[in-house]
Amino acid sequence: MRNHLLVFPATAVLLLLSFAGATYAHHANASFDMTNSATVKGTVTGFDWTNPHAYIYLDVKGKDAVEKWSVEMGSIGMLARAGWRRDTVKPGDEITVIGNRAKDGKTFLRLSKLVFSNGQELTTTVQ
Amino acid sequence: MRNRLIFSAAAVAAMLALSPAARGQNAAQQTSVPDISGVWQVTKYQPKLFPNGGAPLAPWGEAKLKEANPETNDPNLGCLPEGIPRFMFVPVPMEIFQVLTRVVIIREGVQALRQIYLNRQHLKDLDPTYSGDSIGKWEGDTLVVDTIGFNDKTWLDASGLPHSEALHVVERIRRVDHDTLVDDVRVEDPMAYTKPFTAQQVYKLKPSWEIQEYVCTENNKYTYQGK
Repeated sequence: MRNHLLVFPATAVLLLLSFAGATYAHHANASFDMTNSATVKGTVTGFDWTNPHAYIYLDVKGKDAVEKWSVEMGSIGMLARAGWRRDTVKPGDEITVIGNRAKDGKTFLRLSKLVFSNGQELTTTVQ
Repeated sequence: MRNRLIFSAAAVAAMLALSPAARGQNAAQQTSVPDISGVWQVTKYQPKLFPNGGAPLAPWGEAKLKEANPETNDPNLGCLPEGIPRFMFVPVPMEIFQVLTRVVIIREGVQALRQIYLNRQHLKDLDPTYSGDSIGKWEGDTLVVDTIGFNDKTWLDASGLPHSEALHVVERIRRVDHDTLVDDVRVEDPMAYTKPFTAQQVYKLKPSWEIQEYVCTENNKYTYQGK
């Protein structure tokens, strides 16, 4: 687990600066740790292309067990404008997600950036 | 109730279908009023109207703000309408249509429709509603919108700034250049605040964007614990 969840406070400033349309939620961000950035690598088990939020579900291999992570994004209208599609991720894909973890310690992340296994990146920022 | 909703949706559809805007011809182009039609997106998300604090809260407003918790009782968590002015501050696009008797705003988000009536005064004995009753008139290049008749179920911003049914919002909406729209908002609510205050939202034109469907209750994993 520890190997897969890295926290980079230094990048948090950049993430806050990039906070824009697609990362807007219909709820406040008070429940997320907005001062630290977390990075999680795992295997996609599901993708909800839905409103008010889209979600990626990940299996993340820990030291002893597989952790189930949920990754929250903004609305699909804004995600589409940021370059996302309903088949952007598929079950079985190995991906890395970077974002803000829930303050309560749950395996729940609010996404800022997705990195595919080939190194290609996709953010939630609409230009 | 269902019949009323169906009628209401049909009326809006008919109005838009018959309108000059729907024929690719804006009402503004047929008359001398300014053209503010198009898809607009906020340039900056402002979750708090007072980012550094200092809202002029009256005792009633202060007590209500203490009850507000963005994690549990923000009406947005229950996919309820944002109300005015929050409707104008949400960072998802809105499209403005101008027809002869009203300005119609369709928003991608929780609350889909706002209507601003150009040809009448406020109705008497208004039932309090989430969006209130908006009437507008053109003053030169500025659409002045006056809204009353609110219920007290919405927040003014994402921090939970409250308002009562006495809320009175005056907006001055103008297109400062081809790509830029500005909404100067004045909020007055003597029950919640000791004095009126102002806020401003700036929008950029997004000619290539279309308003997308947004069904908030489709997969809402949050629980609204408000009243």
